[in-house]
Amino acid sequence: MFIHAFTRGILFALQSFWRNIWLSLATVFVVFLALISINFLLAINIVADSAILAVQDRIDVSIYFKPDVKESKIAEVKSKLESLSQVKSVVYKSPEENLAAFSQRHQNDAQIQETLRELLGNPMGATLVVKAKGLKDYPVILSAVDDPSFADLIEEKNYDDNQLVIDRINLIADNVKKIVLAISLIFSIIAILIVFNTVRIAIFTHQNEIAIMKLVGASNWFIRFPFIFESIISGILATILAMLFIYPLLSLAQSYLGAFFAGASFDLVGYFNGNFIMIFGLEFLAIIIINIFSSLVAISKYLNV
Amino acid sequence: MIHLDNVSKIFPPDVSALRNTSLHIEAGEFVSIVGQSGSGKTTIVRLLIAEIPPDSGQINIGGWDITKIKPHQIPLLRRQIGVVFQDYKLLPKKTVFENVAFALQVSGAPRPRIASVVPQVLHIVDLDDKVNRYPQELSGGERQRVAIARALIHRPKVLLADEPTGNLDALNSKDIIELLIKINEFGTTVVMVTHNKEIVNQLKRRVVTLDRGLVVQDQKVGKYVI
Repeated sequence: MFIHAFTRGILFALQSFWRNIWLSLATVFVVFLALISINFLLAINIVADSAILAVQDRIDVSIYFKPDVKESKIAEVKSKLESLSQVKSVVYKSPEENLAAFSQRHQNDAQIQETLRELLGNPMGATLVVKAKGLKDYPVILSAVDDPSFADLIEEKNYDDNQLVIDRINLIADNVKKIVLAISLIFSIIAILIVFNTVRIAIFTHQNEIAIMKLVGASNWFIRFPFIFESIISGILATILAMLFIYPLLSLAQSYLGAFFAGASFDLVGYFNGNFIMIFGLEFLAIIIINIFSSLVAISKYLNV
Repeated sequence: MIHLDNVSKIFPPDVSALRNTSLHIEAGEFVSIVGQSGSGKTTIVRLLIAEIPPDSGQINIGGWDITKIKPHQIPLLRRQIGVVFQDYKLLPKKTVFENVAFALQVSGAPRPRIASVVPQVLHIVDLDDKVNRYPQELSGGERQRVAIARALIHRPKVLLADEPTGNLDALNSKDIIELLIKINEFGTTVVMVTHNKEIVNQLKRRVVTLDRGLVVQDQKVGKYVI
């Protein structure tokens, strides 16, 4: 009996979808647009995150050692820094590298070049370039370096110069995340309401049929089943269409935005591929749940016959 | 077969459709219920198919006590009563065959049974050649015959016809009435709500006359007197 009703439900749903093709396509299209909006927001989210990461990645703190500090002491500081969970990387730059870099930077300044030639030894010390995992980690890292036992070794840290910039970037990153989250939430609610009302309107057009079905002895579930299946069909088609539509758009966006992220990792298509099940699976599930819920709410209004 | 005892129905705010009405119809009868608009004719049909509950009184049809019927029992009741409406109430996106089959499908009838029974019933109403048509492709008379076929598909003991000729011309009305007579001759109790004077007078069957919610006349072989 249940299998009979189930297979008939699917059959009626397919039949109704086909015989009301324009109404069905309109429903699919609205759901499709809602999914596109959500994916568009997701893409913006990824772009914003990538932009923040790209900026964050360019920030580091250099610890300049006095020229007479032994390498073993610097290695000690380096290993202490590397042991911190907040540290992403620590790069050692020798006094020779620093001198070469300084000379290179000022290659057109004859006065500096002359001074360097006149000097007998290397006036530069070694440097440790520290990158933190997050902008908020820098104060923790620097407090570790402020250890009194290291105080005599360190000539200078450039954190104080960068602190203002880091704080501002931190603030901007936090605000961008909050704004994107708020827009995503508002858009999601709008998308849910639009889908909800589209399904309700679609079922509203069937209200006479629902009444007739009741009058000829159909049970409530016999009537509900096909509408639920039909809403699932709409959800499946809209998700497939959204998938087919979003990838070319992502590729296009990738090629345009790639230039802005020169040097930094930015792979929009890769992100969607890597999280395909998570993104489209969840969207599909959400759309199906919204569609089923909307159908049940809409039908219940017309079942009291 | 059908018993209405002291049934009252008031529609808000204060329209009394039926006032302490009692009516008893025996198995195999052909009864015409007549009366002016607002006399309560259609209310009786709506009460008998449990579309609306009575405010007081008792209604019994084919062993079902409608005043005590539970919501989940209503579909079962409706599968045992054939109903024909003035506006046909056909499913517009289903073919003639599918409309008739639908009444069987709701009760979980297997496909082979549907495939054998539906053509038989469509043959009775003379629509063998229109099985794949949609309702909008049929004339009024043909639509009403589809509605009758659907009502007959469960072989009901009672057929309720609410103004079955209300939207039809004289020729089609005659066909439909002949069909109802034929159904009655097979043993089905037919209750027809109508205000078609000519048809009622030609039938020479029991006529119940309603006026403002009261049975004012009940004749074994009656005439339309209003």
